[in-house]
Amino acid sequence: MFKRMWTIFIRDLKVNTKDFISLYIFVVPILFAVLINIFAPGINDTTVNLALIEGENQEQVEYFEQFAKVELFENVDAVKERVKKRDTMIGILPENNSYYLMTQGNEQEGVIDLAKLLNSFYEMDISIEESNGEIIEFGRTVPPLKKILVNISILFISILGGMLIALNIVEEKVENTLSAINLTPTRRLTFILGKSLTGIFFTLFGTFVLIFITGFGSINILQLLLVLLITTTLSVLVGFIQGLTNKDVISAAGSIKLLFLPLLAGVLAIELLGDKWQNFFYWNPFYWAYKGNDAILSQSGTWGQILLYSGIVLFLNAIVFLIIAPRIRKGLE
Amino acid sequence: MKLFSSFVKELKIASRGFYFYIEIFMAVLILAIFLFAVPDNFNNKNAEYIFLEMPIQAEEIYLEAIAENDLDKQSEAVKIKIDNKEKDASLYVTEDKEIYILNSREDVIYMGDIERKVAAVIKMDENYEFNYDYYLQGYESDRLKNILKILHVESSDTIETAMDNQDVRPLLTNYETLSDKENMLPSVMVFNGSLMGLFIIAAYIFLDKQEGVIKAYALTPSPVWIYLMSKVGLILMTSVLSSFIVLIPIVGLKPDYLLLLILLLTTGFFSASLGLFIASFYKNIMQAFGVIFSVMMLMIVPNISYFMPSWNPDFVKLIPSYFMLEGFKSVLLGNNDWTYVLTISGGFLIIGLVLFFISNMRYKKTLVG
Repeated sequence: MFKRMWTIFIRDLKVNTKDFISLYIFVVPILFAVLINIFAPGINDTTVNLALIEGENQEQVEYFEQFAKVELFENVDAVKERVKKRDTMIGILPENNSYYLMTQGNEQEGVIDLAKLLNSFYEMDISIEESNGEIIEFGRTVPPLKKILVNISILFISILGGMLIALNIVEEKVENTLSAINLTPTRRLTFILGKSLTGIFFTLFGTFVLIFITGFGSINILQLLLVLLITTTLSVLVGFIQGLTNKDVISAAGSIKLLFLPLLAGVLAIELLGDKWQNFFYWNPFYWAYKGNDAILSQSGTWGQILLYSGIVLFLNAIVFLIIAPRIRKGLE
Repeated sequence: MKLFSSFVKELKIASRGFYFYIEIFMAVLILAIFLFAVPDNFNNKNAEYIFLEMPIQAEEIYLEAIAENDLDKQSEAVKIKIDNKEKDASLYVTEDKEIYILNSREDVIYMGDIERKVAAVIKMDENYEFNYDYYLQGYESDRLKNILKILHVESSDTIETAMDNQDVRPLLTNYETLSDKENMLPSVMVFNGSLMGLFIIAAYIFLDKQEGVIKAYALTPSPVWIYLMSKVGLILMTSVLSSFIVLIPIVGLKPDYLLLLILLLTTGFFSASLGLFIASFYKNIMQAFGVIFSVMMLMIVPNISYFMPSWNPDFVKLIPSYFMLEGFKSVLLGNNDWTYVLTISGGFLIIGLVLFFISNMRYKKTLVG
């Protein structure tokens, strides 16, 4: 059985290498990782953006640069044009020996408050040297946003693994090779597992490339492996059912899209919604997978926690499997 | 006429397949999630964990000052789990913060280090001045650290007075704002409508190629562009239909639906033409998948600056979905920003037409082969 599974896996890999899929398998995780590395630091460094007039008050520019991103413009009109643009930029402009704040009118209150605060500090001539605050750091270098992006990418990659399986199966159907396999001594289960290996391989490979490039190499790999394998079973299941029930690539691709919805819902629930909304999302395996990955990426996950989250994901996946197992069996006939 | 009958034929075929219904189902599902599970505004209150390291009299005065900003002017006794033990704390809830007063420096360090919360110790020196120890994770930017260093050099009252005296002049005062829930809709629309259109149209073309429909089409007197345009029409209809299913119950009559329709059609047309263009270079969906997927990923990037307007580097503005998001936001705001929406719609239409034209040329040569 294992030999046959292996044969199916190797055959899929070979077929995929002939297509661009292999290229894409290698490129997508690297692309994710590079994008995250490029974007995360800049996003983390954001406080407030200020627009000032060039040459008007150099000392003020230097003062604000300690606390905010400062852009310089030729005159008041240029600042006005800049403030009007769709992003958030607040102008600080001179008038009668004082300065006023120019806003567009649709900024978040917190951003305006921060600009008001900074201008007040400047007016009161408060310098960092006078500080009565001491900063004690815990020595963490990975910003939370980077962790979120890496976590989402891991889940994305696992869904893509499922998509790969679905597309592989649909291709077999289109070329009528699926009925041919029924005539060989290969059992259904062997075929299913063999097909799944490609998706799992892709997920594992992609995730490890991703975490090493983004600098998460020192996390507990065993814990990650556990959560990853269990999450992937869901993508594999869904990939299978899509591949078997859909007659063509288009429907398969369309229905895989449905998986993105619970993924995003889980992430948004954890990152944006308050505690009282959380139990609305307990049915969602991606919710728990995200929580598990988060604990692992923060390096704060205990084995008890990880086992609990993985257990819940496994349980939810088992329910999904029970529901769709008859359809998989039928689809293979 | 030919175009119309070809479009109707596409509709008939689509109504027999799964895909069309999946789109509608997805729209209904998104609608249900938005209606029942997403609150209008998210709880954005930041939690702060503080220990007051000072004589009891000073502590009382300090707490009174915090209580003044509390919504009901008093603290609430709460239990917090610290290092697996339930510990007592007082909670003050202000307009934008939840302040927990803890009972020891160790507890504050625990909350900062293990729970990664905002944590600080406020202490009093021999001159009866307050000093502040901020516990940070380490990844915070230097700018933020600098702000913290000077945040309490002057007393809160002095700073508050100075801030109240700031002259803030908005260029426009009647700006409508979207609730947190509404603010997420443009992102959903760009992803569900435009971006998937890119993928789906390519899938359609490959499907027809595989099934030999295109070869059959080549024998008819209809030009290729009619075939392509009827596919685009189908995508556009699906996208308009599913967007309206989601939008109408959530935002009601606030947006200008004509403007919305124009924007949906032009952005959808652009994406579909881009999908056709990319697909024209490949033989089957598996080959094209990598490129289509990378383009979709790239189109997702502007979402970051959409949700965090302070991060807005220039290169993000080169990505088409940036304008889609801003355009849909304008329409949802209902502020009649016709000029902006029509300008970007025009832009998408023109680029879409160019892409469609080039794709048509390429397909004329390659579609049959």
